[in-house]
Formats: sequence, structure tokens, C-alpha cells
Amino acid sequence: MMTGISLSILAGCLLSLQNIFNSKVSEKTGTWVTTALVLGLGFAASLTLGLLFQGTRMFRLGNMEAWFAFSGLLGVGVVVCMVQGIKHLGPTYGVLVALSSQLILALMLDSLGWLGLEKVDFTMKQLIGVLVVIGGAAVFKLSGNKRNARGAVHEHAEMEGLK
Amino acid sequence: MKGILFAVAAGMFITLQGVANSRIGAAIGTWQAAALTQLTGFIAALLLLGLFRRSAGTGLRGVKPLYLTGGAMGAVIVFSNVQAIHAVGITIAAAVLLIAQLSLTFLIDGRGWFGVVKQTMSLPQFLGIAMMIAGVLILRV
Repeated sequence: MMTGISLSILAGCLLSLQNIFNSKVSEKTGTWVTTALVLGLGFAASLTLGLLFQGTRMFRLGNMEAWFAFSGLLGVGVVVCMVQGIKHLGPTYGVLVALSSQLILALMLDSLGWLGLEKVDFTMKQLIGVLVVIGGAAVFKLSGNKRNARGAVHEHAEMEGLK
Repeated sequence: MKGILFAVAAGMFITLQGVANSRIGAAIGTWQAAALTQLTGFIAALLLLGLFRRSAGTGLRGVKPLYLTGGAMGAVIVFSNVQAIHAVGITIAAAVLLIAQLSLTFLIDGRGWFGVVKQTMSLPQFLGIAMMIAGVLILRV
């Protein structure tokens, strides 16, 4: 039990660091170099660990289907959007909004039984959960801290630029 | 507004990726799935880089080496997550992961670690994070 919880905490902390490091890389190199770098290194590390744990079994792709290859594009979407989100909103608010949208879409897919997922009925508990999550993101944003004010100026400047 | 749209899209991609990865993992194995999807993602990103890049250099030399390790963390994240799901089940594993991720991000943001512009965190921010954690627990446990 404790090992499982510790591993989950480790994974969550690494995810947090990963998002922040990636956004740091993009400040110097731009979105596309960052995305290529992140996925390239991710591939190399996964291949290495896979070979370590599984040896040559790693290359046996038993029930391979063509669409598996294209799902790599989802990874591109994750990195690009997360880096951009953090750039505009700061790490915490960016992660808060992404997390809310992640949970809500997961809930929708479950309730509708889409993408081959087993249909799980939408309950009152889940409605309350979603409202608390969205409320949390809103409360976080409520008070005008410095970055919020700067962000507003930034967006204003962008609007001016569009005219 | 632009930031919100990107963050919302990021969250949706994360969920879709989770669904896809668990299907692919079940068919060809977790490590195979992680390596394959990141390889094809890498190739796609290289093509996009070729299309959109504006300057000849990559700017990578100006980046602190520590920050370059972000990508490689993905493999450890996959490993820990798979082991954790095995040990405590997907529900607890997912909830703990989200809460840990949120808490550390909040800490880094509030302390200004890793050169992040320090944010003043006061009561509304603590309350917001607490609600978020409560929401995750209500939804997932």
C-alpha cells in the first residue's frame, strides 16, 4: 500500500517538474524545439528502460494496429498546449485549468461510454466533484495577484497588436 | 484567454492520451506503448519544427542542462504509475498523482524555485488548491 502511494507521489512530483522544466526550455528555444526534444528524450528513456526490464521482448509488438502509431500526435498536443498554457497563465493556474479540463473530459467519456470505455452512469457525487474542481480554479484566480495583472496587460497589448 | 484555451486543450489531450495509452499498452505492452507513441510524436514534432522554425539555431545551448531532463522523466513517470496502479488500483493512484502534481507545482510557484516568477500565494490561492484537492477526492475516490 505505502509503496504504491509513494510511487504515485513520485510520478506526480516528476510530472510537475517536467511541466516546469519544459516551459523553461521553451523560453530559450521555442515550442517546436521543446516538443521535439521532450518526445525524443522520452522515447530514448522509454526504450532504454523497456530493454532493461524486458530485453528483446521489447521489440515484439504482438497485436499492433495502425492507429497506435498516430496516437503519438496526442503527445505533441499535450506538450505544445501545456507549454503554451504555462507560459500565459503561470505554472499553478495553468496546471489547475488543465487538470479541470482533464477530469471533466474523462468524466464525459465515462458517462457517455465513448471511445470503447465501459459506460459509467453520471452521479450526483460526480456533479458535486466537478463543481468543486471548477470552483477551486475560480477561487484561485479570484484575487488579483501580480501575475494576473501583468497577464491582463499582456493580453491587452496583444489585442492592440491585432488591430 | 489564449492561455486558458491552451490549458483546456492540454487537459483534453492528456485524457485522450490516457485512454489511448491504456488500450495500446494492453495490446503491445506498457514500455512498447510508451516508446512507440513517443517515437512517432518525436517524428511529428521534427516535421513541424522543420515547417515552423524561424531561425537556424535551436537555442538549446542557452538552456540549463537540468531543464533538458524533463523529457526523460516521462519514462520514470510511466514506470511509477504502472507499478502504483498495480499496487493500489487506478482510482487511488490517479488521485494521489494529481494531488502530488498540484501540490509541488503550487510550492514551486509560491517559492519561485527553478527561476519561475514568484507568485504571492495568499488565502484565495490556498483555498483554491484545497478545493481542487477536495474535488479530485470526490471525483476519484
